[in-house]
Amino acid sequence: MPVPTDAAADWPGWRLMHAIAARFVGWAVETEGSSRSSALIRIGLAMLFWSRWSGELLLYMDQSPVGLFLAANFFVATTLLFVGYHSRVAAVWTGSVGLAMYYYFGFQLGREPWTHHHTYLLAVAALLVALTPCGRSYSLDRYLAVVRAERTGIAPPAERGNLWGLRLIVVQLSVLYFFAAFDKTSYAFLSGARIEAIFLWYYAGSDYPAGLAWPATIVSFGVVALEYSLAFGLPFRATRRYLLLPGLAFHAIIYLTLPVYTFSATMALLYLAYFDADEVDKVIARLQGIGFKEEIS
Amino acid sequence: MIATGVRRVADVVSIGSGAEPAGRVSAGRLRLFAFIAIAGFMIAGPVAEQVFGVQSAWLRSWTMFSAIGMGVIDASFEIRQPDGALVPLDRFEMLGAPRNGRLKWIQNREELASVTRRLCAAAGQGADIRVRARQATRSGWQIIHTDAENACAD
Repeated sequence: MPVPTDAAADWPGWRLMHAIAARFVGWAVETEGSSRSSALIRIGLAMLFWSRWSGELLLYMDQSPVGLFLAANFFVATTLLFVGYHSRVAAVWTGSVGLAMYYYFGFQLGREPWTHHHTYLLAVAALLVALTPCGRSYSLDRYLAVVRAERTGIAPPAERGNLWGLRLIVVQLSVLYFFAAFDKTSYAFLSGARIEAIFLWYYAGSDYPAGLAWPATIVSFGVVALEYSLAFGLPFRATRRYLLLPGLAFHAIIYLTLPVYTFSATMALLYLAYFDADEVDKVIARLQGIGFKEEIS
Repeated sequence: MIATGVRRVADVVSIGSGAEPAGRVSAGRLRLFAFIAIAGFMIAGPVAEQVFGVQSAWLRSWTMFSAIGMGVIDASFEIRQPDGALVPLDRFEMLGAPRNGRLKWIQNREELASVTRRLCAAAGQGADIRVRARQATRSGWQIIHTDAENACAD
């Protein structure tokens, strides 16, 4: 008769769970791959930070000591993030500036719309990209590493690293999509009422347009279904191929119709985290003609 | 001891590739704990607010645009003709206001009452104007005025 622990180990369900857990751990924290997609996200985030706040943080806008301190930190941190000098430190610095804007300037000092979700998402994305090898490609860090390697006669460091930061971005996006859908899973939204109210607020005023009810209801069901699908489907390759374009189109429509600031662009940029980093590397190589040359030579 | 702690943190945030040196095999496990902790924080925010109703600036929920449009009023007006028929009343035309001006949005009940009073005044004494209005709330549309009675008689 087997001892109880052996019996448990032989139970097919336990073995299946163990295999799933091992696969999840491998995916989450043990995957290594190309650093190029992380680097692209790093550069894109710096540009989104500038796009959103550069105008508001120009030195003449708030000449108080705290305002100038914020502006100085913002521009130095984001510039370092963009050029990739001490990239991961710059990412932490930029993310911290973003969180200071969100929590202190937004919630404590009441500066709006710095408390909005697009601010938080940008700040968190910067912090998460600090956990990726974002400085090993397309950066001043990379250039200096190559120069050092040439000077010492050794091979330049590989453009690779552990990708657990990208996995955390995937988790963040799925949590975001799931709870956005969860918030809308109510009669008020699915009846179309909330979409109608938003439409009146931004477009129609207090005159309800004829024929709005059915489209509003259909769009409401579509949005909720899509957000649940994006939450659970985008992390998996098999379903991602069908959801990628609807997801991007969804964000593009929101960007064009509602004042979401950088939210849509941030989401589109962070979609890079869903893709296999080495596959992204191959696409970049093809775009640069590297793969093509190798194939025909 | 501090040096060991710093090294552990460095292990967790490391994105280095290749095999771990002997004696530092737990770096992957520490990274897993950090992953679970960060993912847990990501989930805790929306769960706290959206499931348990705990409001805190420190926890981020994902309820985008849930407050936008709340309070907006959908209003329509009708006026009784001399032959007794009720016909739609164009408030912009009646009040000589631009269609894209302030009158486009009726923001609250007080403003609805004000617009109604102005329409009654413009229509003249004895006018019969019916107002149908509803207001957007978190739970959907809420009827705030029916056309059962003459609004100018209020």
